[in-house]
Amino acid sequence: MSGKDFTEHILHYRNIFIYLLIGTALTVGASYMDFNVSNSIAGAVFVGLTIATVKGYLVAANFMHLNSEKKLIHWILLLTVFFLGLLLLIPLLWDINLISNY
Amino acid sequence: MEIPYNVELREDTGLYNSKLGIWLFLASEVMLFGGLFSAYILLRTGAPVWPPIGEHGSITHLLTETIPHATFNTVILILSSVTMVMAWMSLRMKDLGKFKLYLGTTIVCAIIFLVVKYFEYSHKIHEGFVPSHDTYMALYFTLTGLHGVHILGGIVVLAYFFGPGLKMWDVEPQRFTNRIEIVGLYWHFVDLVWIFLFPTLYLLN
Repeated sequence: MSGKDFTEHILHYRNIFIYLLIGTALTVGASYMDFNVSNSIAGAVFVGLTIATVKGYLVAANFMHLNSEKKLIHWILLLTVFFLGLLLLIPLLWDINLISNY
Repeated sequence: MEIPYNVELREDTGLYNSKLGIWLFLASEVMLFGGLFSAYILLRTGAPVWPPIGEHGSITHLLTETIPHATFNTVILILSSVTMVMAWMSLRMKDLGKFKLYLGTTIVCAIIFLVVKYFEYSHKIHEGFVPSHDTYMALYFTLTGLHGVHILGGIVVLAYFFGPGLKMWDVEPQRFTNRIEIVGLYWHFVDLVWIFLFPTLYLLN
């Protein structure tokens, strides 16, 4: 790796750091705003978690180098996300009374 | 006997072994925290009021007070992620001085995070908001406690590489660089978990 490449990487990581700080400011700012619809907090949860997901993507793609990682790692993570989705879906199914009889 | 594929890449995976190992470990960590997030969703959607009102009332007013601390901790953890990746980059540039500077900064950031957390915990416990107070407090202490244990574990490993583990750099520099990449991946994951914990526990109540 040359000195020029290194400087480019530093600038790139500095930019990601700034984006993450902006994301954090947005998350805190959004929590003081009213996104709720008919007394439900769903709107605020959606906005808060969307910003968190974007921040999470920035960390994973850039600091963890997932944007240039091998396919095997991507497949492992896809499988993990699938099972995580199932895990998070179970209480939601419960809540809408689909599996409450079991 | 020498452990194979510490430095050289395996032909079938295209990775060195410990990198595959850490990603599998992180996948299991996703499921660990995922299970707790799942419990959070179940308890929250089932509660008539959130956060629940217990013996000492609701935690809401204390949470509002601690938002600046938690925001500060978020910034500290993000900064530590940047210094961590810079430490790895410094090794790739064969600049040991910068590596020590960045890794040291990462360790200091991690310690600051835990100190802030200590004061936050003390304040809540002093006001009577212990884990048994209500389901929110139980989840709060479980999730942030588990995350804190991960920070503590990270500090131990980072301190090892800052101190005695650094000797490897003189004999096997590439293997040491790979080790720093591995611990870096773990550290970024800890940051990633906090990015979701912060709005979930502090802001969306």
